[in-house]
Amino acid sequence: MEALAFTVPALVILGVFVFYPLVRNIIYSFQSFTLSSVTKEWVGLKNYMTLLSDKIILTCLKNNILYALISIVIQVGFGLVLAAVLEDVAFHRLAPALRSIYFIPTVISMTVVCLLFDFIYNPQMGLLNSFLEAIGLEGLTKVWLGSKKTAMYAVIAVSQWQSTGYVAMLFIVAIQKIPRDLYEAAEVDGASKIKRFFYITVPQVRQMFFVTMILTVSGAFTVFNEPYILTGGGPGTATMVLSLHMYQTGFVKNNMGYASTIAMLIFIITAVLSSVQFFSFGAEKEER
Amino acid sequence: MNKGKIRKRRVYGAGEIVWLVILFLLAAMILYPLFWILMSSFKDYQGIYGDVWGMPEVWHVENYLTAWNKGISQYFINSAVVTVATIMGVVFTASFAAFGICQMMGPLGNAIFLMCMCGLLLSPQVCLLPLFMLLRALKLKNTLLAMILPYIAFRLPVSIMMIRSFFVGISKELEEAATIDGASLFQIYQHIYLPLSKPILSTVVIMTAYYGWNEFMFATIFVDSSKLRTIPVGLMTFRDGLMTEWGVVLAGMVIACVPIMTLFLLMQKSFVRGMTAGSVKG
Amino acid sequence: MKMKKAAALTLAMMMGLSLAACGGGGSGETPAGQSQAADGSGDKSGGAAPAADGEQVVINFFHRWPNDPKNTMFKELIDQYMAENPNVTINMDCILNDQYKEKIRMVVSTDEIPDIFSSWSGTFAQEMIASGNVSALNDMYEADTEWSGKIAQASVDGFTFDGQIYGVPWSQDGKVFWYNKKIFADNNLEVPTTWNEFIAVLDALKAAGYETPVVEGLSDSWAILHYLGTMNQRMVDPAVLAKDYDAATGEFTDPAYVEVLKKWQQLVSYMGETCVAIDHEAARNNYFATGEAPIMYLQLAEITHVEKVIPEDFEYGFFNFPAFEEGKGDVNALTGAPEGFMISNKTKYPEECQKFLKWLVSKNGGEALTTKGGDLSSVDGAIDETNAIPSQLEAMDIIKSASTLAPWFDNACDASVYTVYAQGAQAIATGDETPESVMEQVQEAAASLH
Repeated sequence: MEALAFTVPALVILGVFVFYPLVRNIIYSFQSFTLSSVTKEWVGLKNYMTLLSDKIILTCLKNNILYALISIVIQVGFGLVLAAVLEDVAFHRLAPALRSIYFIPTVISMTVVCLLFDFIYNPQMGLLNSFLEAIGLEGLTKVWLGSKKTAMYAVIAVSQWQSTGYVAMLFIVAIQKIPRDLYEAAEVDGASKIKRFFYITVPQVRQMFFVTMILTVSGAFTVFNEPYILTGGGPGTATMVLSLHMYQTGFVKNNMGYASTIAMLIFIITAVLSSVQFFSFGAEKEER
Repeated sequence: MNKGKIRKRRVYGAGEIVWLVILFLLAAMILYPLFWILMSSFKDYQGIYGDVWGMPEVWHVENYLTAWNKGISQYFINSAVVTVATIMGVVFTASFAAFGICQMMGPLGNAIFLMCMCGLLLSPQVCLLPLFMLLRALKLKNTLLAMILPYIAFRLPVSIMMIRSFFVGISKELEEAATIDGASLFQIYQHIYLPLSKPILSTVVIMTAYYGWNEFMFATIFVDSSKLRTIPVGLMTFRDGLMTEWGVVLAGMVIACVPIMTLFLLMQKSFVRGMTAGSVKG
Repeated sequence: MKMKKAAALTLAMMMGLSLAACGGGGSGETPAGQSQAADGSGDKSGGAAPAADGEQVVINFFHRWPNDPKNTMFKELIDQYMAENPNVTINMDCILNDQYKEKIRMVVSTDEIPDIFSSWSGTFAQEMIASGNVSALNDMYEADTEWSGKIAQASVDGFTFDGQIYGVPWSQDGKVFWYNKKIFADNNLEVPTTWNEFIAVLDALKAAGYETPVVEGLSDSWAILHYLGTMNQRMVDPAVLAKDYDAATGEFTDPAYVEVLKKWQQLVSYMGETCVAIDHEAARNNYFATGEAPIMYLQLAEITHVEKVIPEDFEYGFFNFPAFEEGKGDVNALTGAPEGFMISNKTKYPEECQKFLKWLVSKNGGEALTTKGGDLSSVDGAIDETNAIPSQLEAMDIIKSASTLAPWFDNACDASVYTVYAQGAQAIATGDETPESVMEQVQEAAASLH
């Protein structure tokens, strides 16, 4: 079949670099080996038992969940409000410029953003502490990345800074699709802006709401760059997250089998989330 | 008339003023740090450490030259090569596949499409370890291909999805006419589909460029040699190696941002459309 | 239509960028850099050709010093060598410390192993050798005793296992406390020799207004491990230590380990709360060198780094890690392993590699290492009054007079153990873990290895 030939390159690449690794990962998770081992030893469910008793996994899950919750509140929740405000007629002149500004962090490389926040959080000359001092709030200055209490929040803040504008942009796209007459009718009825937001905007963008939710949550469960660059999981294991734990277990502690088991945990979490999104909307419906 | 009155009332509400302040504060929170990077990249260590907020007393333009010569140039080339290669790979493979899927209506086409879509369920983190072992076994590890091939693979599902949904909307008349004239499938692809789908392809190009230019995890793990590092990873090495020359590190950060920022400023609309479309469906 | 242009523009721009970058990139890079970029995977797939006269020999050389001054020093040395030996091309590549350990572990057991690479001595060297890809160099040492006789024997011992010499040591190092002489004199303080004396000094300094009498950048895990390695060595029975550091038998159940972490807890309480958020270099440059912190645990190899940032009237002295009153280890031991180079036995050009290393580890290279790189050369006679500063000579004496050289902790035991150790010690510093809870985790990690 000639048409089939067109799909072969894509299928080969996907097969070799996406599906085959997944299958290998499932197999690895039942094995024990190091980066240099020639043979891999079958250990059955041993890695999974380790997973259940690994205290760091709990820390990771806690941090990943915290990441998800904060991202939902700020990126999705506040992002939606921000989008609604920007779409308000009152700001219709400013909106295009502001939109672009809020979107800028999205296009900046994660590494640059992380290095920037490294400067911001620097305990000696960091922008944050010196700003707090400048406005007379010395009492609030902290060793942001060096204390267990603040480190995780400081890491999470980076993603909020980077992605809120992006999520807001997604909502703006959705809001622009809402028929104007809905608002006009409500306005005639004397509904306040807040009411209009809750009774028109929110229900009308619920699909996007759901999409961004899944997007931020699966982002939160796969986060790697920020903690890797900013804290390396420290202090102690305060900012350890699943993918960083996987990386350290595999490449630093050289326990590839168990690292693959951690990868399976990530896989299950993200696959469930994505399939919820995927199957509840269906690829067909998305295509207008 | 009526509209004017409504707008007037809106503009002067207390809520709007509060929001105006909030919106400007948010903008400042984003713009100031960026401005700070730019400004500090012209300072030396003492200038940054001694006066974090001030403008540079002496403009150390040479920071940029130092950054460029101390490795950023190499990282820049690598990033460009990797990004361009990834774009080429994604555009051709994905448009081929999307075309093939469209031609194969019926269960087979759907099955293949569904299979591609399953790629969306997989995050790169899950494939990290086996990919590492695979690339090592293929002797591709520590080459530029170690980044390019996985990048292409992980961009394919979403790109195929976007292109296919565009292809489905293309009218069949031209195609039928061509078939009657005895055109091969490849000719139909080349002369009908490809020229018509420039808009969606440009979106795919932008999305892929963004991804390839900024990807960090694969790049840091699959490549060991400093000669092959891309900008996101190179910047980290750069910081480690130049610990106290902050000005130079910051200059490197600015250089790293320039291409994508330029792309963004030049083509804001398509950029935003690409980023939003890509995620809605991904 | 607009989109069409946009797409074309994007491509054109990316192409343009890459071309422009190619044009500009050449000037600043060393020839080594260019050839590596050019042949990349090419020379891997190419068949192995024997080295013949006049034929181009390519040696891949991987080390762990991407930062200056050493990076520049290596570049200069290599350029010099390549100028003298036009048939040899040396591809130098490097990444920093912790990452180097990860990367070299990933490649050492594969075909990607570099021809020449740097290694620490001790357990790290053993791990490299265990890959089976490191060549024994006894012949090289025996064939040219004039050359090998000049290399410090203690350093060679660090690379000798079962009578086989697997490396060429090139630097020596030791970790000692550095103190600010002026501050000590102003407060009538003596150099402490025991832990209690040390704590008394810290208290006195604190009373004198020094908020951080001793400082360290605890965001660097290796810096933490340097402390813990020495402290374990001083405190724990050597036989127990040897057993525990061995992955096959490690248990870490001796109560002395908890004791060590308690001392650590006591010590970090003097380091101020920022210590967890800064790295070693920031601690050194912004606290010790400015006189804000009078004491810091530094490597002797850091002399030139410190010299560069201290004010002119700054005087520093050294003292070895104080003895624990209840300790069972050798108090005259010095933590600080020699570092050197290994040659892969998969290299196509073993002789050329040896020739290069002999040239590198010689009076010429050793002098460059000490005067430009700041490390202490392992070559006898490479440094003397004429080319080294007095504190470097003092450092050489300290190393020579040490009863034994104890390896760095992160070279001495398995990564699973020391990673947990470092994370735990960091958490103790932030007050989130106790010595007991950390040791439990270490015991678990050690047990999972056998």
